[in-house]
Amino acid sequence: MPESLSRDNHDIHDSQGIHVASRRRALGALAAGIGLIIVRPARATPEDLVLALREAFGDRQIARGRVSLEIPRLAENGNVVPVIVRVESAMTPQDHVTGISLFAEKNQLPRMLDVRLGPYNGKAVVSSRIRVATSQQITAVAQLSDGSLWSASAEIEVVTSDCGL
Amino acid sequence: MSRLGQGRVRMPESARPGEVVEIRALVEHPMESGFRLDNTGKLIARHIVESFVCTYNGVEVFSAKLRPAVSTNPFFSFYIVASGSGEFVFTWKDDQGGVATTKRSLVVA
Amino acid sequence: MNTKTFKAGRRDFLVKTAAVSGGLMIGVNLAGTVHAADAAGTSEVTHWIVIQPDDTVVIRVARSELGQGSFTGLVQLVAEELECDWSKVRPEYADVNEHIRRNRIFGSMSTGGSRGIRDSQEYLRKAGASAREMLVMAAATEWGVPAAECKAQKSVISHPSGKQTSFGRVAIAASKLEVPKEPRLKDPKDWKLIGTSPARFDIEDKTTGKQIYAADVRLPNMVHASIVQCPVFGGKVKSFDDSKVKGLRGVKSVVAGDDWVAVVADNWWRANQALKLVTVDWDVGENGKVTSASIMQFLRTGLDAKDVPVARKDGDAEAALANAAKVIEAEYHAPYLNHATLEPQTATAVATDDRIEVWVGTQNGESTIAAASEAGGLPLEQVIVHKMHAGGGFGRRGVHQEYTKQAVAIAQKMPGTPVRLQWSREEDMKQGRYRPVALVKLRAGLDKDGNWKAWHVRQADQSIFVTVRPADIKNGVDPVNVRCFQDNPYAVENFTDEYAMRNPHVPPGFWRAVAHTHNPFFRECFIDEVIQAAGKDPVEFRRALLQGKKDLGVLDAVVKASGWDQPAAKGIHRGIAVVDSYGSFSAAVVEIAVTDATVVQVKRVVLALDSGYVVHPDAVIAQIQSGIVWGLSSAMHEEITISEGRVDQSNFSDYRVLHLSETPKIEAVLVPTGGFWGGVGEPPIGAVIPALGNAIFAATGKRLRSLPFKNHGFSYKA
Repeated sequence: MPESLSRDNHDIHDSQGIHVASRRRALGALAAGIGLIIVRPARATPEDLVLALREAFGDRQIARGRVSLEIPRLAENGNVVPVIVRVESAMTPQDHVTGISLFAEKNQLPRMLDVRLGPYNGKAVVSSRIRVATSQQITAVAQLSDGSLWSASAEIEVVTSDCGL
Repeated sequence: MSRLGQGRVRMPESARPGEVVEIRALVEHPMESGFRLDNTGKLIARHIVESFVCTYNGVEVFSAKLRPAVSTNPFFSFYIVASGSGEFVFTWKDDQGGVATTKRSLVVA
Repeated sequence: MNTKTFKAGRRDFLVKTAAVSGGLMIGVNLAGTVHAADAAGTSEVTHWIVIQPDDTVVIRVARSELGQGSFTGLVQLVAEELECDWSKVRPEYADVNEHIRRNRIFGSMSTGGSRGIRDSQEYLRKAGASAREMLVMAAATEWGVPAAECKAQKSVISHPSGKQTSFGRVAIAASKLEVPKEPRLKDPKDWKLIGTSPARFDIEDKTTGKQIYAADVRLPNMVHASIVQCPVFGGKVKSFDDSKVKGLRGVKSVVAGDDWVAVVADNWWRANQALKLVTVDWDVGENGKVTSASIMQFLRTGLDAKDVPVARKDGDAEAALANAAKVIEAEYHAPYLNHATLEPQTATAVATDDRIEVWVGTQNGESTIAAASEAGGLPLEQVIVHKMHAGGGFGRRGVHQEYTKQAVAIAQKMPGTPVRLQWSREEDMKQGRYRPVALVKLRAGLDKDGNWKAWHVRQADQSIFVTVRPADIKNGVDPVNVRCFQDNPYAVENFTDEYAMRNPHVPPGFWRAVAHTHNPFFRECFIDEVIQAAGKDPVEFRRALLQGKKDLGVLDAVVKASGWDQPAAKGIHRGIAVVDSYGSFSAAVVEIAVTDATVVQVKRVVLALDSGYVVHPDAVIAQIQSGIVWGLSSAMHEEITISEGRVDQSNFSDYRVLHLSETPKIEAVLVPTGGFWGGVGEPPIGAVIPALGNAIFAATGKRLRSLPFKNHGFSYKA
């Protein structure tokens, strides 16, 4: 059984078997008001992404978890990248996902797609195909009926954007 | 001028009451992002599908707001709860006034 | 959690079967990837290094060996710090599938841009140093002594007390230690291995014919395929008639994609012969009328356009030109060129419902696995890539993976049967990814004392990035195409570089040295024109404008090594050029003799290169030699022309390249000044072509402003 593609937990172990997920949580370098988006320790959240998140969600906190984002680890040129977003939710009238948004931190326009969901979906699982301009982190943000926001991010390497020059 | 083409939908023809079924929907469209360059290095004008809505017996059960980052021939897969027999209407609209509609029936028993 | 042991089952099967049937052994690393939990005593000490109980040190290579020596040079970087016994070092390609499963642990696998050494050196040296520290720590712990008192040399760890052990004996213990984050690296002056030229790992097999390339792969039940793609780029298959092929001996099937048709047979010759009997009705699209002449016209619209993106503007070149005492103006042009790798594009693939395996000589294992995954519709985890040494890369085999995708598509039509797809030479010549065409107009203004005050460049050429890395084109300027002009080192007060993108339908690609295959020709020959108009000396004129630049070092070195300061021997004429590219600095002198006014004999090329550091001097000299051959070949002979939207050339009979016998005497002068890491794969090419052009002017008074020189009536004598 092949290993799952999903990296919702960033469950990475380095070659010595040391769980590195904890090293990846960097809460420091964020614009004020945007909550707990996990970024790579050596890099700040690109300003364009921060602005896009603020435009979408205002000052609301975005937590980590409940969302699983499945995209390939590599794309040849990034033109057609399959993506599956899954959100843990019973999808009842009292407790369901109301929407999912996808963001690409380094695309010319970070905001890629918004979908609206409700209890009538039964399952909060949505697939699509997206364009990824260059190697970067993709983030999915889900909004629940109680107003809370949850997210997951995943790295994708667009191989042509690394062609040695 | 709109380059919106045909919509194509894959979903079951029947389902049990309460069953959660998958719907796969695609529409033909170049999704010209507005960032591509023509052969003299000038930007090619944006032309994209902007919205996709699925209704079930007249009630919205899925909708999407699309932006240039959605790939050519925009594709979605989502799920719905089969609540009763009826009609699904899939509507795509692009930024040049193009509208495409596809209909499906679902028998729930 | 250690990574899962790679499922070697199928590969073992293939190896055993091949051995039984007497078939050729496959690939470079059949041993598979070894992990800490694996064979008794074999341990991974950092993911780059595997140490076996007998002290064999396997060092993994993420990039590709294309004949440029990376398989050895990259390993030297690790081994220098590791302090292992070099005689026990064995390189192996990092497994691409494992690389994905371990979240791209081996970093970039891209082999291009002359970046193999310079992009890897820091983390490879750190890996070697870390591993050494871990091994020493393991021994010190076992002995109960401070690690600082221990020494590692030639795979032996010793302590002044007389205790001694070998890497192989402490590897397991070392593998369990945490990898040091900031290991101490040697000062370059302490290098013992870097800077020397140990026997390369690839050369012997290549010279004895033992080397297996992707084209040599033979697997049980394998079939062979030859392919034809629409000769007019961008066209599609409308229909095809394979009636003459059905029933032919050995032919298995005819398979078609959107823009190609392939014949599969029990051997490649039969497949290719049968392919010629298939009639394909192509929908050639709009480009069936394009010719080299119409392409030139299209480029010219770029020279004539009013508003064009500006890549660089210093001062006011137009005003300075208007006030100049003397204006020099010229147009230069360069044609399409094909990589013409000795190994045609080839890929072998076998596909089942849940697995795809490919064997390819690729410049980027990640490009291949991504292409195979997308073409085959299986996730990366279910794709196995066997990287083979490539029979020539030169930029053809990195971002372009059509042959991989085609092989996968054909293989999926016959699940479980390995398919070896090999493009015919004709197909390879007509379906290249060509060095793009370029047209440029240059203007220079001199003051009354012959000082160069104004320089205006208007470029009209084809962008590669627009197809491959469009996100890197800002404001209409292709950052690669403007190299050599935008970043030129000459101190000219008023300088403007304008860039007009003009993209014909011919597919462009990265041809070794990319923009530094024609822009240096345009620049350094035009500068020679300016020098002639000013009545100045080629070296002194440049020297004055390169003050404070590293280019001065190589200029001085090439002058000294070639004897430029002394009069040339009778009948010998010389040209000089200075070009920096890919992080390194070079200068070349070409000496020629010309007979019958048009027959050129290149007597000697002297090239000085400052790459900062030199890892393997012989390999760098080889890169200089091959770069000079590459440059001379395109300067004198090579040209791809277009008629009716398709490439005219078909084979080496009509796409002439430099012959072995035409290789001149080459003197490579290495002048690494340290303190930076420059590339060596491409830098030796830029200066050669203009130096030859300037030598021809010196000999004949004829200024050649377009390539290849044969088009001006010049021929070449060995």
